[in-house]
Amino acid sequence: MKKEKLYIWPYLLIAPALFIVAAVVFVPVANAILMSFQSYDLRRPREIVFIGLANYIEVFHDPIFWGSLLRTALWVIFGVGFQFLFGFILANFLNKSFKGRGIIRSVSLIPWVTPGVLIGLMWRWIYDGSYGVLNDLLKKVGLIDMPIPFLAQESTVMPSVIVTIIWQGIPFFALMLLAGLQGVPAELYEAADIDGANGAQKLFRITIPSIKNTIFVTTLLRIIWVANSVDVIFSMTGGGPAYASQTLSVYIFNKANSLNLGYSSTMSLLLTLLLLVVAVPYLKSMFRNQEG
Amino acid sequence: MSGCKKALTMILAFALSITTLAGCQSGSQSISSAAKSESPNQPIVLKHWFWPDSDMHTQVMQSMVDDFNATNGKNIKVELEIHPWDGGQYSQDLFTAAMGGGAPDTAGFKLTSTPLFTANHLLEPLDSYIDSWEDKDDIQDTLYKTLRSVTKDDNLYLMPWNTQILYVYYRPSMFQAAGIDIPKTYEEFLQDCRKLTRDTNGDGKTDVYGYGIRGSKGGQEPWGSFIYARGGSFDNLTSDASIQGMQDFIDLFQDGCAPPSAPNDGFNEIIANFQSGLTAMTIQHIGTSVNMVEKFGDDVGAFAFPDSPQGRWTSMGDTETVMFSSSKNKEAAFEWMSYLATGAGQKTWCVKTGNVPVSKTVQQMPEIQNNRFMKISIEGAPFAGILPVLDTTTDWINNTWPATIQAALLGKITAKEAMEQLDKALYSK
Repeated sequence: MKKEKLYIWPYLLIAPALFIVAAVVFVPVANAILMSFQSYDLRRPREIVFIGLANYIEVFHDPIFWGSLLRTALWVIFGVGFQFLFGFILANFLNKSFKGRGIIRSVSLIPWVTPGVLIGLMWRWIYDGSYGVLNDLLKKVGLIDMPIPFLAQESTVMPSVIVTIIWQGIPFFALMLLAGLQGVPAELYEAADIDGANGAQKLFRITIPSIKNTIFVTTLLRIIWVANSVDVIFSMTGGGPAYASQTLSVYIFNKANSLNLGYSSTMSLLLTLLLLVVAVPYLKSMFRNQEG
Repeated sequence: MSGCKKALTMILAFALSITTLAGCQSGSQSISSAAKSESPNQPIVLKHWFWPDSDMHTQVMQSMVDDFNATNGKNIKVELEIHPWDGGQYSQDLFTAAMGGGAPDTAGFKLTSTPLFTANHLLEPLDSYIDSWEDKDDIQDTLYKTLRSVTKDDNLYLMPWNTQILYVYYRPSMFQAAGIDIPKTYEEFLQDCRKLTRDTNGDGKTDVYGYGIRGSKGGQEPWGSFIYARGGSFDNLTSDASIQGMQDFIDLFQDGCAPPSAPNDGFNEIIANFQSGLTAMTIQHIGTSVNMVEKFGDDVGAFAFPDSPQGRWTSMGDTETVMFSSSKNKEAAFEWMSYLATGAGQKTWCVKTGNVPVSKTVQQMPEIQNNRFMKISIEGAPFAGILPVLDTTTDWINNTWPATIQAALLGKITAKEAMEQLDKALYSK
C-alpha cells in the first residue's frame, strides 16, 4: 500500500508540465483533426458543418496542392542536401587549428541566429530586379547586361529561395558536425597515417563512419524544419509569382490566413503524415540509441 | 528528511500549478483592470490599432493621440498600437486578434473587411451613437449610405475618417524629354507608357520604364482602372470589354513598358522604382505625395486616370474607424472616433498627411483647397469606386488576384483565362 503511494509522486510532479503540453500541443492537434472534417471557413461562420472527407477529396483534386508538394520535395532535397554539403566542408575547416578560428566560428553562426523573416527581407532586396546587390555584382563582373528579376520569374524564383535557405542552414550543420568531428579520436587518424591512408580513405573510412549518427540526426531534424518552414519564402515572395515558389507549408499558411481553416487543417494533417515517414525512423533511432 | 523533501516538492508542484492557473486567469484580470479604469481617478484607457503609410504618419498620429489625451476633458487615455498595412495583412491580423479575444477598443479599418468582421459579431453598430452626435451632419449623408450598404443588416458599423483616391503620379522632366504632354485619353495614356520607355544613355538597354505595374498584393486597385477604361467592370469580369482591359495590362508588361520585376512588385517596390527614376508613371494616392515632393520638389506631378469613351474608374481607397463590440468603454471609444472624424484630429490628419477629409468643414479649409494633389484627388472623386464587398473579397485581394495576375503577366495563362479565374474566385462560394 505504501509502495503505491510512492509511485504517485513522479506523476504528480510531471503533471503541470503534462498539462501545459496537452493544452498547447494535443488540444490544437485534436482541434485540427476535427476541423479537417468540417467546412471550417471563418468567412462564413454560420455555415460550419461536418462534411466528412470532402476536404480531403478536394485537396487530392487541387492542382495547386500537387504543385506545392512537388516544390516542397525540391525545397527539401536541394535545400537540406546543399546545407549538409557546405556545412560538412565548413565543419572540417573549423575543426583545423588556425589563427582567428574562434572569431570565424562565431561569425559563421550569424545566418543561423538571424530571424527567418529578417533573412527573407534581406535576401528579397539582394535579389531585387532593379536595385539588388546581386544584379549589381553580376553586371560589374560582366556576366549580365540587364538585371535579372530573380524573384519575379518562374525559372529563377525557386533556385533563389533555395539558395537563401541553404545560406541560413549551413551553420546549423557546421555546428552539429563540428561537435561530432571533435569526438573522433586523433589516434584513428594517426594510425591511418602510419598505414599510408590518403585523404579520401580517411574521410570515408574514419570521419564519416565516426559521425554518422550526428549526420543522421542532424539531417532528419533539418528535413522536418525545412519542410515546415514558412517565414523565409513568405517574406521573400509570398509563394509567388503565380505559385512558382509556393511550398506546401506556405500554401497551408496562405489558406489559413484567408480563414479557410478546414482546408488548411486537412493539408496540415497530410503534411504531418508525410513528415512522419521521416520522423518515425528518427524516433526509432533515438530510442534505439537510448536503449543501447 | 524524506518528509522535508516531500513538502518541498509539494510546494514546487503547487507553485507550478498556480502559475498555470494564473495564466488561465489573465483574461479576467484584464477585465477587472478595465473596470477599475472607469473609477473617477483612473483614466479610461482605450487601445487603438493604426497602420501608417510612412514614418511621418506615425508621428502625426501620435501627436493627435497626445492632443486628444490632453484635451478631451473626460479622462480618456488613448494608447496607440502600430501595425503595418503589409498589403492587407493588417486586416487579417486585426481579425485574428479579435477572434482570439485581443481586440482593441477602436481601429483603423477598410470597408472591404466588414462582412468578415460582422459575420463574427466583432463590431459594434454605431447608429445610436451617430444619431445623437452633434457633428453628424458635418459628413455627407451619401458617405453614411455607402458605408451602411456593405452589410445586409442595415446597421452602420463604420465611422468615416478619410479617403484616398488613386491617381497617376508622373515626372514632368521625363514627359518633357519624351516630348509628350499629360494624356487626355486612355489611348493616349497607353501610348505614353510606350513613349516614356526609353534607353537614355544609348547602350541599347531600357533605363526608364513608362509605367510601374504593381503585380503583387494591392495591385488590384490601379488594375481596375484598365478594366473599366475598356468598358468592363467588376460586376462582369468575363465580358469582352473586361478581358480587353486585362489584355492592355498584360501588353504593357510583355512589351517591356514596366520593369521586369513588376509581377512581384508591391507598394515599396513601385514607390522605390518611381523615386529612383526607373519608372516615369505610377498609380498611388495622396498619402505618398509629401514624400514625393520631398524627393522631387516640382519634378513630380499628378493627373487623374484619363477618360475613355467606354468608361472611367479609379479606386477610392477608404479608411474608416470601427468600435469593437468587446470594448468596455464604448462611450469613450466613440468620443475618440468622433475626434478623428470631424474634430481637431480630422484637420490635423488631413492637412499634414494630405488625405482627403470627410468633414465638410475641413474640406473648405484653405490648406486643403490649395493642395495641388488634393485637387487631383477631388477631380477623381466623381468616378471613384470600390471593389465589390463580399465575404470572398479579402481572400481575392490577398491571394487570388496576385497569383492570377502574375500568371497572366508571365504568359502562363491568357487574359481570358485570368479573368475567368478572377470572376470565379470572387463570385462563387
